[in-house]
Amino acid sequence: MASGEGQSRRWGSLRRTHGPMGVAGGPPEASPPPALLDARDVEVEIAGVPILRGADLGVEAGELVAIVGPNGAGKSTLVRAVSGMQKPSGGSVFWSGRALGEMRGRELARLRAFVPQRMPVPNGVSVREAVTIGRSSHLKPLRRLTGEDRDGVEHAMERARVTRFADRDLTTLSGGELQRVQIAIGLAQEAPVLIADEPTSQLDLGATIGVAGLLRDLAGSGLAVLLVVHDLALAAAVADTVVVVSEGRTVATGPAAKVLTSERLTEVWKAEAHLTEHDGRTALHVAWLKGDDVRSP
Amino acid sequence: MARRALVFAALVAALLAAVVCSLAFGAVKVPISEVIDIVFGKGGSATDVQIVETLRLPRTVEAMLVGAALGVAGAILQGALGNPLASPDVIGVTGGAGFGAILIIIVLPGSIALLPLTALAFGLLAATMVFAFAWSGRNRGSVGKVVLAGIAVLSLFTAGTTGLLAAFPERAPSAIFFIAGGLTSSGWRDLETVWPYFAAGFFVALFLIRPLDRLALGDDVAASLGSRPQVIRLGAGIAAALLAAASAAIAGLLGFLGLVVPHVVRMAGGTSSHTYVVPASAIGGAALLAGADTLARTLRAPIEMPVGPFMVVLGVPLFLWLLRKAV
Repeated sequence: MASGEGQSRRWGSLRRTHGPMGVAGGPPEASPPPALLDARDVEVEIAGVPILRGADLGVEAGELVAIVGPNGAGKSTLVRAVSGMQKPSGGSVFWSGRALGEMRGRELARLRAFVPQRMPVPNGVSVREAVTIGRSSHLKPLRRLTGEDRDGVEHAMERARVTRFADRDLTTLSGGELQRVQIAIGLAQEAPVLIADEPTSQLDLGATIGVAGLLRDLAGSGLAVLLVVHDLALAAAVADTVVVVSEGRTVATGPAAKVLTSERLTEVWKAEAHLTEHDGRTALHVAWLKGDDVRSP
Repeated sequence: MARRALVFAALVAALLAAVVCSLAFGAVKVPISEVIDIVFGKGGSATDVQIVETLRLPRTVEAMLVGAALGVAGAILQGALGNPLASPDVIGVTGGAGFGAILIIIVLPGSIALLPLTALAFGLLAATMVFAFAWSGRNRGSVGKVVLAGIAVLSLFTAGTTGLLAAFPERAPSAIFFIAGGLTSSGWRDLETVWPYFAAGFFVALFLIRPLDRLALGDDVAASLGSRPQVIRLGAGIAAALLAAASAAIAGLLGFLGLVVPHVVRMAGGTSSHTYVVPASAIGGAALLAGADTLARTLRAPIEMPVGPFMVVLGVPLFLWLLRKAV
């Protein structure tokens, strides 16, 4: 999506949906469907310490949004807050037009799936069983899986490309395979938005490429993907939109080329660096040993 | 899957064998064929019918219920706290129930009929204290807080129990049977008092099976799937407290069963999936206690010995053998 105009268009359409001027302004059939995610001015305090001081986040179907920022900037807190896993102390969060605070867990589970950085690995649980647990958000208490549920599990495994080792125990998987299984568990929820919190931070280069390609393909098939990531070159390669979080605020949103400028890398990361892109290959050129000059000009 | 089915079949067979032995053996031996006739209402000698129906049947049902309850309590606590050392001891129930029972035995021996209810009440009181402390302040409901609060409350009640025993040493011997854990042939009376607590505990546990499987993949995955990890932990704590306190009211302190049986079924079945572990722990716990109780009252019949040590003798070798092979 285009940076400045696209952004205002997106928020503008949301304002028409949710704002005080809102729905009453036009006939119901003319109003666009609500955005999958509309989070504004989100604030989070943990033990009285402000972690997020006003962050905005949105995503559309088929869009991959990368959330980047230095350590401690609040990237993970932002996705956890909009996902309902960390109580916001201010701001508003709407999923498909429904306010976050008014939804029950099971309802929210149908609207967004959260894939943590690394899940614990229980003994004696196969990949298929784990993905079946992911499907359990569709089940009422004590109800058994239906044929449709089993198909959903198989479909999620195919999309995440884990069917090949579906019967292996989780304990036997490599880091990359396990991350794909975690994504399959998220996909089994069949939510329109998948949130992945630093899925590649513990993976080697090949596994990172595998997971990044998978998330890109999922976005290509219509899923909305929110990806928290440290690697700026990776973010630039896979994301439609990059959101920069710094000191608890979202300071820039747009395509990587416009958002991850040398000036911003200096301002936010205190690094002398620039991003290049050519033919689908991205690179971050860093003056590794000049950090001190940049930090104390 | 085949391995789980096999373990299940073995557990059910062990339970059936234990139940039949429990009904047949004791101070008076009733032939197994007659036991089966009596159970299915096809007659038998009048004395044997009376022994089986009024003494052994209630006791066997108690053994099965208590064994199943402690197995389930251990399984759901270990799952909810993600801690292999979790058992009804950890949430203070055993310590509280022990204090309540010793209080009656030592201070109010004339009101011995109140023992089950007092043990139950103090067991639940101890668990309530653990939850109240663990669910207050920052990081409420975290595993670390639950375990530490549990150990603190357990110490408190254990100190109270030890204090009572030290203050009235001449009455201490009568408390040993309760502390070691044992069933009595008191008919249906105890069960009539505490069955609602068993029922409530099993009912809540049934609804926890699937949420516990979610929790096994981590708090974040559970939350993504719409569960609230702290609510699952609280629910598991309440169910385990009900089951363990009701068990202590009937059979004294048998905390060991709740610790070991879930591990045994996990290692035997090769999985920690709760759809398997919780029911298998129920059947395994029932079989172990019914079997051990039969041994406890037949080895030196007519003298009855506390069942706790027998359960340990039966359970620990199996546990250690499986542990050696476990990953």
